[in-house]
Amino acid sequence: MKKLAILLGVLLLVSMSVFAAGQTEAAGAAKTFTPSKNIDWYVTSSPGGGSDIFTRTIIDIAVAENLLNGQNVVVQYKTDGAGEVGRLLVSQIKAGVQADHTLLTFNSGDLMPMLKNTSNRFENFQPIAHMAVDKHLIFIGEYSKYKSFEEVLAALKRGERIVLGGSKGDDIACHAALIKEIGVTEDQFSYIAHDATSGAITAILGGHFDLLISKPAAASQYVEAGKIKPILALSTSRFPGNLNSAPTLSEFGYKNVEVPNWRSIVAPKSMSAEAVAYWTNVFKKVSETETWNKGYIEKQKLVPDYMDSETFRAYGMQFQKEYLASIGK
Amino acid sequence: MENLQMLFMGFSVVLTLENVMVTLLGAILGLIVGAMPGIGSLAGVALLLPLTYKFNPTTAIIMLGSLYYANMYGGSFSAILLNIPGDSPAVMTALDGYPMATKRNRPGQALFTANSSSFIGGLIGMLILTFMGPLLADLGLKFGPAEMTSLLLVAMTSIGWLVGESPTKGVVLTLVGVLLASMGMDTLTGSPRFDFGNIYLLGGIPFTPFVIGTVGFSQVLKLMEERNKKVEANLNQKLTIKGSLLTAHDFKRLLPPAIRSGFMGTFVGVLPGAGATTGAFLGYAMQKTFKSEEPLGTGAIEGIAACESANNAAAAGAFAPLLALGIPGSGTGAVLLGGLMMWGLNPGPLLFTTNPDFAWGLIASLFLANILTLIIAVGIIPFLIQILTVPVRMLIPIITVVCVVGGYSTSNSMYGVIIMLLSGVFGYILDRNGYGVAPMLLAFVLAPLLESNMRKAFIISNGKLDIFFDKPISAFLLLVLFAIVLTPVIKFILRKAGVSKKK
Repeated sequence: MKKLAILLGVLLLVSMSVFAAGQTEAAGAAKTFTPSKNIDWYVTSSPGGGSDIFTRTIIDIAVAENLLNGQNVVVQYKTDGAGEVGRLLVSQIKAGVQADHTLLTFNSGDLMPMLKNTSNRFENFQPIAHMAVDKHLIFIGEYSKYKSFEEVLAALKRGERIVLGGSKGDDIACHAALIKEIGVTEDQFSYIAHDATSGAITAILGGHFDLLISKPAAASQYVEAGKIKPILALSTSRFPGNLNSAPTLSEFGYKNVEVPNWRSIVAPKSMSAEAVAYWTNVFKKVSETETWNKGYIEKQKLVPDYMDSETFRAYGMQFQKEYLASIGK
Repeated sequence: MENLQMLFMGFSVVLTLENVMVTLLGAILGLIVGAMPGIGSLAGVALLLPLTYKFNPTTAIIMLGSLYYANMYGGSFSAILLNIPGDSPAVMTALDGYPMATKRNRPGQALFTANSSSFIGGLIGMLILTFMGPLLADLGLKFGPAEMTSLLLVAMTSIGWLVGESPTKGVVLTLVGVLLASMGMDTLTGSPRFDFGNIYLLGGIPFTPFVIGTVGFSQVLKLMEERNKKVEANLNQKLTIKGSLLTAHDFKRLLPPAIRSGFMGTFVGVLPGAGATTGAFLGYAMQKTFKSEEPLGTGAIEGIAACESANNAAAAGAFAPLLALGIPGSGTGAVLLGGLMMWGLNPGPLLFTTNPDFAWGLIASLFLANILTLIIAVGIIPFLIQILTVPVRMLIPIITVVCVVGGYSTSNSMYGVIIMLLSGVFGYILDRNGYGVAPMLLAFVLAPLLESNMRKAFIISNGKLDIFFDKPISAFLLLVLFAIVLTPVIKFILRKAGVSKKK
């Protein structure tokens, strides 16, 4: 009996010491997180689109710079429910190893429909990094009735009806902000939403409406070919390069209008603080590489704008507040 | 002639060992992807795209181009042998292909018909693409919202040729198709519609699981009733290529519809937003207006030829706006466009001038893929038709697995599987009660296009109807529409007048 007690005692001691050692080990690991398994990176739109290119560019750079501890990234396309299913799934991942290895590509073009159509909110995610901003321009086509934005404004004053075509999401918000600033109604300055900017470009090339709204990357080639011409920059300053000829709204005596489409990365809300610190740092390093600035930002004509986790949280919450107010929610 | 010269230049790009191997690989993968229900060209190209990021752009597009192209062949295999369309453009192939393989006992010939019409349609499409690509793309641009609305209205009348014996049932199913297609996001305002608060329904009913269910899984349910029936030793023909050859008479029947559909399919492929599926539907519907030796739907060669030729031609035609203007004519085109950007090219009106070796290399590779795919597809016919000798009770679980995988792979989620199962039961009930699903599927494809174009047209015209009559193309199409709608009425009146005169 005594022997058994001693044996049990020893067993207890051993297991306790092992447990304790395990605990310190766990605590030690938690202080400096490094990826220990495959990383699941969710993209809520189709492969080949803007979000996919953004995600894959970052992954390629992170792998090339050896920032992922040799782990693989698996890109998961979740397009069900116009992307809402994937976003909800990421927001609900429980704390643990999986949560620390899950990332989601998140743009303002994703946030706006999410706020409008679901009860999911920005605060249900852990902001990781804000990477870049895309802004809009207004273009005319070969067959457009107007040759400059001045003529457009004059036509609106005369009471003429004008149609603007573009994509969904941030393009629509841009149109709303523009007509509010120049003080015309939706009926007079109407908007046609297409599934993608390419659809709107097709229509203006065929001369089916007069004005086009687009982000620089999608339109740049057509500007170079002389098929469309930029007439207004929806930004606080003019664009560089072949888009420089387009004046901003303030040059016509109005306040500048801009609805930036930001591109960012978020994670499940339950991600551990150590993992958040790790990932924020990884994307900071990515944003500082030349491949990122020359091969992506410059080519897609984006504005580089890295924000760390906390700065991005404040920015995103403010954006959400303003957007919810603008749609009366 | 300059185009021909450029095409030869393209061949010089393609005919390197590496590029020929890649074309072959693309063709084989395309056949497999196409034959597997659920994984269509869109998913196939999307899955392979990431692998090509490290290739040089020309090699990459050659592989994806031939995969996309070969996919149109593969889709007909399972449609003909199992009555399960391998991809959405093959839905119509099943209508005549399956009866021809089973009831008429000519599976080899059915596959051969599908393959050779695919080849003819594709060849027509590619020749048009080579000589008139940019011109065709410009013609596509002329089709704005108003023109598309009128064209789609004409296309909608083709449902009338698909309804079969009972017009009432046909109309009911057409309306059901329209209703189901309108679920999900409103295409113009982005607000939810008929989503019943369900986050999955926000994205609408996905077409592929819906088709697999209504056409394929309902077939499984039907087969279960006859599971104990012994396979009749009905394959009295030899399972060889020779035994599958078409007779000269068969070939004569195949040729006219294949050529007609080749031209029509190319045109549909060029139009914004319409793709191979719409092409196949219209090709089949168009054949209804021409004479077929056997009635369509009972295993007529003409039926298979009309839709298989049209979908391959449409796939080739879709490259015209993509290459000449950087505008994707279909979902697959959009993914390819994304690929172009990833490879560091700028798709757009300058592509032909800045990267001629790329653009013409792709066109040349399509010709090569067309020939290679035909050879492979014909070569495997004897192996494919062995499927028909598998006993029904073993076939049931196999097809079920294929259907489930197909439903799942559309969006990598169980949502697709649930839609597939539900629409399977729905399709079975319809079938038992004598409703054909074809009108519903056509309405499902065309209604969203019609809705968004019509609403866009009304925004442009500020709600006035004039826009449809002011534009010449649209006005002409509306005339065609009225002619189609009024012809039976006038015929009826004339006949009545004739009868009363006789009296």
